Amino acid sequence: MVLAEPEESLEVVDPASALGLRALAGAVRPAVLARARVLELTGPLAEVLGGSLRRGSVLALDGPLGAGVTSVVGALAAEVTARGEWAAVLDDGTFGGAAAAEAGVVTERLAVVRSTAADRWPTVVAALLDGMTLVAGSVPARLRVGDARRLVARARERGAVLVPIGTWPVEAAVRVHVLGSDWVGLAPGAGMLRTRRWRVHVEGKGAGAHRGHAVHAVAG
Amino acid sequence: MANPAVVRTCCVWCADWPVLAHRRRESTARGVPVAVLERVGNRVVVRAASVEARAHGVRRGMRRREAEACCADLCVVDADAANEARAFESVARAVEQLTPRVVLERPGLLSFPTHGPARYFGGDDALAARVVELVAQSLAGLDHAAVRVGIADGAFAARLAARRAAPGTAVVVPVGDAAAFLEPFPVGELEHPDLVDLLTRLGIATLGAFAALPADAVLARFGDEGAHLHAIASGRGDGPPVLVVPPPDLVEHAELDPPVASVELAAFTAKAMADRMVERLGAMGLACTEVMVEAETEHGERLARVWRHADGFGAHALVERVRWQLDGWLAGAADHVAVALDDDPRARQDAAALADAGLDSTTGALTMVRLTPAVVVPVRGRQLGFWGGDAAAHARADRALSRLQGMLGHEAVVTFVRVGGRTPAEQVRAVPWGEPRDAPFAVAGETPTWPGAVPSPAPARVYDPPVPASLVDIEGRAVRVTGRGEATGAPHRLDCARLPGGGGRVIAWAGPWAHDVRWWDEVTRRRCVRWQVLVDTGGLEVACLVVLEHGVAALEAVYD
Repeated sequence: MVLAEPEESLEVVDPASALGLRALAGAVRPAVLARARVLELTGPLAEVLGGSLRRGSVLALDGPLGAGVTSVVGALAAEVTARGEWAAVLDDGTFGGAAAAEAGVVTERLAVVRSTAADRWPTVVAALLDGMTLVAGSVPARLRVGDARRLVARARERGAVLVPIGTWPVEAAVRVHVLGSDWVGLAPGAGMLRTRRWRVHVEGKGAGAHRGHAVHAVAG
Repeated sequence: MANPAVVRTCCVWCADWPVLAHRRRESTARGVPVAVLERVGNRVVVRAASVEARAHGVRRGMRRREAEACCADLCVVDADAANEARAFESVARAVEQLTPRVVLERPGLLSFPTHGPARYFGGDDALAARVVELVAQSLAGLDHAAVRVGIADGAFAARLAARRAAPGTAVVVPVGDAAAFLEPFPVGELEHPDLVDLLTRLGIATLGAFAALPADAVLARFGDEGAHLHAIASGRGDGPPVLVVPPPDLVEHAELDPPVASVELAAFTAKAMADRMVERLGAMGLACTEVMVEAETEHGERLARVWRHADGFGAHALVERVRWQLDGWLAGAADHVAVALDDDPRARQDAAALADAGLDSTTGALTMVRLTPAVVVPVRGRQLGFWGGDAAAHARADRALSRLQGMLGHEAVVTFVRVGGRTPAEQVRAVPWGEPRDAPFAVAGETPTWPGAVPSPAPARVYDPPVPASLVDIEGRAVRVTGRGEATGAPHRLDCARLPGGGGRVIAWAGPWAHDVRWWDEVTRRRCVRWQVLVDTGGLEVACLVVLEHGVAALEAVYD
């Protein structure tokens, strides 16, 4: 078989059929559905977050130790990893792997990055946003507003969900304040911890989030 | 008669290297029976045992429980390949004083062609004695006698000669006698399970009997591989089956500017080089079985070491070797340079002089790393997994995480593996990204529940080690536990710096749950009790796990 020279092959394509090809290419291009731009939630947080999380948005979390912030992160990571996508948590080395596994996280797709120095935090988060669908981490004190904005832009560009924990200095699509947990099963000298309900207060301006300031109780 | 195709080789074998490497790091393990365990399939077996353990009947390949049954006070440790390789570096350096052409087969085993050194030192016997002496020196403080040396025609015969040698001595097989020397060994030495099995069933039990078969008949019946093994068994050469001269453009070379003193950064560079090299070799249908790792330091020193991998290096295996190597070199440098950490120029000069005096380490940061495929063979093919999952997402995540490892260190990026255990900290193991996720002591399939484990749900924040805390009863006395496992009072207040508000009143609790860990062993036995407590810290109820050991309370976990 003789292969045509490149110049010749250009000549044989007539303009009309080139247009036709372009139209065909448009028709067969994979469509980006609305569904691909949001993460459908199925777990305990689905109701308060309006059933879905928008990719490329920021969900800011805060609450004191013991209120249940870490287990909310676990629940979010479970949603993401169970769909075959990847999540990462930046942490000081105390993130409980057993709790994450119990929450339904596929542990082989949850990367835990330990002990990041505060000055490297923006760099590390940016690197993670390149490869992960969900990135959660405690915001270091005195994070510069400029760095935070760059991370918001990076998350939007990569279609990843950024979950800063603590004081987030710039805008966020959804803010979840974890107020506390109500535990069931433990009594003075008897029983053991069995189940909990988070008390959360959701503020949102993005699509899918509940507007308003109601306090929701979520069984987790 | 000497066969020119056979390279006369000296083989240095340190028996039970994993044990020696462990003892080098943990001086407490010296003089006690030690067994190093590894995981084979889903069994945990002994990989190496110390002389003391062998005296009790512990053997390689035994299951853990059998080994512990043989020897009651056996100290068992997990195999640590990186440490073994690092420790073997000192032996390699000792041998390198005699010859530059050292080939590391695996930690514990190295070989080199004797042609030059034997002439220089006055014959094989003198060379062997010198090798034994140098290696024994490098093992000072450990088991001097662990080294065995064999010299024979071909690496295979040399390895068997080393095995035949008594501890701390050498066996030299005269030139041309390899076939006679190999004759009585069983065919099992050939390390080709299928062929060995077949030969045994055919009634061919020794290498001599196999070598006696006509070479052309063996080639006709067993193919290239069979003919190659036949040549080995009859003492005629044992290079890799087909040697292809490596095309020169396969050499991977990187100048490091500014010079790199951290292993992480150097390994990150090496990773890209190794990936590229394996990819290019792959494109030509080749695999590399011997690779030379070279580095140059800012003071102009040149370091080179050869690593061998029988099946051909994959990118990951290659990076691992390079990493071990750079780790060994740079860690050696750190010993000297650590002295010069303060900015006094005189101290720095002294440290440099010290390092120059010692033959065994680099004195500065690396300026160049080069990987040269020394021996390449045609690749035989590899079966890839059928169920790929989302390969693109995986590749993206892998890139991001590997990059972070280069930035923060290998151990800084982990994934969790569930393993058996009682406490939240024991129930998971953190595996650095890129390492195999098989749990060493977990049964395949489901994780069985452990009797006496802290009940589910698991706490989301786990402090390891636990944070000091105080648990007191209503009269302000610390809550303790009697010998019968009963609490001296009901917990009333928990104070800990970690908790919001520094702690608070206990509103509900369960416990004490007694944990008597390894009660059969005097030394490692641990007794502790745990409470689950719900603490009211100024309106916020915090559920905690408190541990009490030796009368000291500590916050072990928070159900955050």
